[in-house]
Amino acid sequence: MRKISMGLVAFGVAASMSLAACSTGTPAASGGASGAAKPYIAIISKGFQHQFWQAVKKGAEQQAAKDGVEITFEGPASESEVENQMTMLTNALAKKPAALGFAALDSKAAAPVLQQFKDANIPVIAFDSGVDSDIPVTTAATDNKAAAAEAAKHMCTLIGSAGTVGVMVHDQTSRTGQDRRDGFIEGMKATCPDVKVLEPQYGKGDPNISADIASSIIEANKDLKGIFLANEGTAIGGIKAAKEKGVDGKLVLIGFDSGSDQIAAINDGTMAGAITQNPVGIGEQVVANAVKALKGETLPKVVDTGYYWYDKTNINEAKIQAVLYK
Amino acid sequence: MSTKTNPPAAVLAVAEKTGGWRERVQQLFALAGLVLIFIVFSIARPQIFPSWSNVTAILFSATVVGLLALGVTLVIITSGIDLSVGTGMTLTAVMAATFIVNWHIPIWLGVIMTLLFGALIGLINGVNVAVFGLPPFIATLAMMLVAQGLALVISNAAPIYFDPENFSAYLWLSTGKLVPGLPNAVLVFALAAVVAFILLNKTLLGRYDISIGSNEEATALSGINTKKWTMIIYAVAGLFTGLAGVMISARLGSAQPSTGAGYELQAIAAVVIGGTSLSGGKGTIVGTVIGALIIAVINNGLQIMSVRQEWQNVILGLVILVVVFIDQFRARQAATT
Amino acid sequence: MTTTETAAATGAHNAELLLQVEGVEKSFPGVKALEDMRLDLRRGEVLGLVGENGAGKSTLMKLLTGIYTREAGDFWLDGQPLQVTSPKEAQEAGLAIIHQELNLVPHLTVAENIWLGREPVTGGFFTQPGAQVQKTRELLSQLGMHIDAKAPVSSLPVAKQQMVEIAKALSFSSTKVLIMDEPTAALNEAEVDQLHELIRRFITPQTGVVYISHRMAELKRIADRITVIRDGHYIDTMPMAETSLDQVISKMVGRSINTEARPEGVRDDRPIVLSVSDLSTKALLQDVAFDLHRGEVLGFAGLMGAGRTEVARAIVGADPVTSADVILNGNRVTISNPAQAAHHGIGYLSEDRKRMGLMLSLPVSHNIAVSSLSERFTRFGFLRNKAIIEAAEAARKLLSIKTPDVNQLVKYLSGGNQQKAIIARWLVKDCDILIFDEPTRGIDVGAKEEIYQLLNKLASQGKSIIMISSELPEILRMSHRVVVMADGRITGILSAAEATQETIMRLATHRDDAVTTKTEKAGI
Repeated sequence: MRKISMGLVAFGVAASMSLAACSTGTPAASGGASGAAKPYIAIISKGFQHQFWQAVKKGAEQQAAKDGVEITFEGPASESEVENQMTMLTNALAKKPAALGFAALDSKAAAPVLQQFKDANIPVIAFDSGVDSDIPVTTAATDNKAAAAEAAKHMCTLIGSAGTVGVMVHDQTSRTGQDRRDGFIEGMKATCPDVKVLEPQYGKGDPNISADIASSIIEANKDLKGIFLANEGTAIGGIKAAKEKGVDGKLVLIGFDSGSDQIAAINDGTMAGAITQNPVGIGEQVVANAVKALKGETLPKVVDTGYYWYDKTNINEAKIQAVLYK
Repeated sequence: MSTKTNPPAAVLAVAEKTGGWRERVQQLFALAGLVLIFIVFSIARPQIFPSWSNVTAILFSATVVGLLALGVTLVIITSGIDLSVGTGMTLTAVMAATFIVNWHIPIWLGVIMTLLFGALIGLINGVNVAVFGLPPFIATLAMMLVAQGLALVISNAAPIYFDPENFSAYLWLSTGKLVPGLPNAVLVFALAAVVAFILLNKTLLGRYDISIGSNEEATALSGINTKKWTMIIYAVAGLFTGLAGVMISARLGSAQPSTGAGYELQAIAAVVIGGTSLSGGKGTIVGTVIGALIIAVINNGLQIMSVRQEWQNVILGLVILVVVFIDQFRARQAATT
Repeated sequence: MTTTETAAATGAHNAELLLQVEGVEKSFPGVKALEDMRLDLRRGEVLGLVGENGAGKSTLMKLLTGIYTREAGDFWLDGQPLQVTSPKEAQEAGLAIIHQELNLVPHLTVAENIWLGREPVTGGFFTQPGAQVQKTRELLSQLGMHIDAKAPVSSLPVAKQQMVEIAKALSFSSTKVLIMDEPTAALNEAEVDQLHELIRRFITPQTGVVYISHRMAELKRIADRITVIRDGHYIDTMPMAETSLDQVISKMVGRSINTEARPEGVRDDRPIVLSVSDLSTKALLQDVAFDLHRGEVLGFAGLMGAGRTEVARAIVGADPVTSADVILNGNRVTISNPAQAAHHGIGYLSEDRKRMGLMLSLPVSHNIAVSSLSERFTRFGFLRNKAIIEAAEAARKLLSIKTPDVNQLVKYLSGGNQQKAIIARWLVKDCDILIFDEPTRGIDVGAKEEIYQLLNKLASQGKSIIMISSELPEILRMSHRVVVMADGRITGILSAAEATQETIMRLATHRDDAVTTKTEKAGI
């Protein structure tokens, strides 16, 4: 009996531990947080491991070198670790940065700490998704809803305005997940209302789980024309499933972001196309706007960092290549 | 031969090879559950759910968690637990990619090295548990975090790709079709299950495994080197983790360093559904395979029926509760008679 | 309806009795556990209750405390019908039971255990540890127990834990009837005396004790009357003073047993197989040295905590030693774990069968074969299940282990048959030296006799046996020689001729005050 209840505890604790996981702070420029002359900007992102965030980090580092500031870039291991991100935020406050770049996993949860930043006169630059608060001096973000609606428009064109379309999203709680899901579904309704859009499915951004889900969707819907895959991990799973089920090339897959698998799939025709954000641009804008804020400049409420549709036809254009990552 | 308080001789004769008759009943119970769930979905979506291509999809999706669950079964039978298999799998996947893609080691050798690396992870768990006396929960929890971190460090926090032109043989391990219509991953899982079954039922390892789980102290006083065998059992569990790492990276054509956490709970759930007792001394491989299939069938069936995903987790959780309740109820009944 | 009929048939309620059990029945699937059970406890008396294992004593206890529900019959406590559904209700009604297995929470202190569930609180929530400790000290001193109220129960020896359990039962001022199930199973002679003293203090004209025991000598000392039950039936109740032990035993088992038997085959010209010297441990043992001859039963006597079990565990490598010189058949050996001991042909049978002997959830066959799996029952690493079954089957016949089938789980066997299964384990392993720690603990009288005969047979076949026992009659009956220990040292080695209860007890209570002992003294 004792051992059994121990086992159940094991479930609980392990579940919470898997959320706690690890995080890594990386001082980008040399010297760490103490730089005497250079202003120090702390950047806390939603993630760290994904290629997308690595690209944001790259952009931020490039801009930091250009503007002569010092930055740190960190984020939780997965995009469900709200609490972990809050800890990072509190720790960042303690380091007294000149400015903060912040991509909120849960903007409501972050509000009290952000207020403390405001009280300490530390400007906050929001990025990736908006923060529901008037504290950030500006927000550098992709309009995910508009970007997903653009994907819907392409989907309609490619499938011919009839049939069934699946929607696969990384999670149902994050702002980007919700925006891309809603943007796509609303876009489908507006552009081709006769297409049946299936109940969205969520694969945690895990390619293996996403592949299983995509297989089920393909299996369950014989009139399936296409699937919208709302982030990179989801897209990898969708591509694998299409190949495993032998419907690659027949099924219209539309992805989001980039990465080796999506790029290869677009080149070989498995994937019709994808929306890419401008992650490097986001990183650059965070640092650039932080520097402007430190100089006392007035900033626009939103800096749209833009998005691009890319497919086989334009993938090699310099403009696209600049924002893709492998 | 049999008396009023005992099962019929015929049952005993069958049970002789695979353990107690109680376990047989448990397996039949789990199997009946699997069949029942399958029939329900088949009635709900008769055109799609029971089709061969969907069945292979279900089998395919059961392989990774199933492989992990095989190893976890052996550990749980000792009355231990292994929380490190999820991220351990990720680490071994990253190691497979490192060996084969980055170091250009031949695929066959790289796979063997990966399996051995998995065994090493398990062996470290085993040493911490058996020699240093750490509770298995703590030892493997620590390993879970270490493996997660190392996977990120070694991969530079970026996926490592098995470029299909150079490593098609590696991808073939999972997605190839030696038997037409059936992914190789399913064959690998079946083979691994047979190996695990033989280990548990036909070898010293299995017998000591069950004995240690039933009463470690008594087993030690019977002259068995329980420390050595505990280490071996954890190492074997690690071997299965390594195999899961190979299979998941072969399926995805890449090692994805940021995934893996959460798979250990799925694996433990499969083991529990299969009737293995978390208090040790009792468990079967057949049950675990059935448990992994039940999870896969439920996930697939609910997705086929387009049930909202939030409810899929609720239903899976309830299934685990029902299974454990029934198991405990039966155990209590057995104890009072 | 059955209830009233049965009661009417077997006799009416007698208001003079403190506790009355009439016509009680209880059956389990396939087994009639109790049939027409009776028990009369008078005011102010100690009633002995004896019966072989399986006679129905535990079932009766569980019915009285509401763990089981009776199918027929009546209980009266102090003139009132007793109708309880849980041990807590029984306790509130004035009926306290001390079970054979202690029901204490090991990590809590003595005081916390005694008041568990009844903690003195303020505001309905905040505990008052000070008041609790104070109350405990008063209680313990009233009862004449020298136990630290603040000590964690796990730090106490078993005997003291038992005292705590009794103190807990008596802490209920409502307690009128105390039922003790084998209270002395883990106690040495001195501790038994203490317990009896405690019982005499508890007895007033308003109270009574039901004392369940296998130990006839104790019953003779403490009980006023004795009730014998057998196979779920009431047999007889007799005044203790007018009843001989042999009479009681013959009523219990339906046959006479000669309790005055002496060891067989005593000789002193046999070769030495095991010579131990300079054996010390950090915790207790000091310079233990003795020889074991071939075909000998070497008894180890001593009080609880004297270090007998520790000697056995040190020899087989189950516990670390600071020094040890072990010569086995003329060769010096180092044994650092039980696996090596087994390899050298030394088998240890623990006093605590359930915890350290048996794999309860596994079949009899596994419990017999476990020690020999690797050398006898594998081929190329694969198990030979058929050979295992055959060997277990052969052992079952040889030792007449009562089980329908060797695939039966060992937990369904009686204590005596479980013990035989463990003996079989070491015989299959072909061990030449067997160390039995309390070989008949918790085993009923009939089965005890079988175990004794088995030990004699093994010795006559050339096996060498070390037998640790807390029962002096057992030591005297079985031992070719007796090693007596006290405080971690050997205080004397007696030949069969020299050994008497008096000589052994004298050595066992021998204390060398010049040496500071390393552990808590036995006794209370």
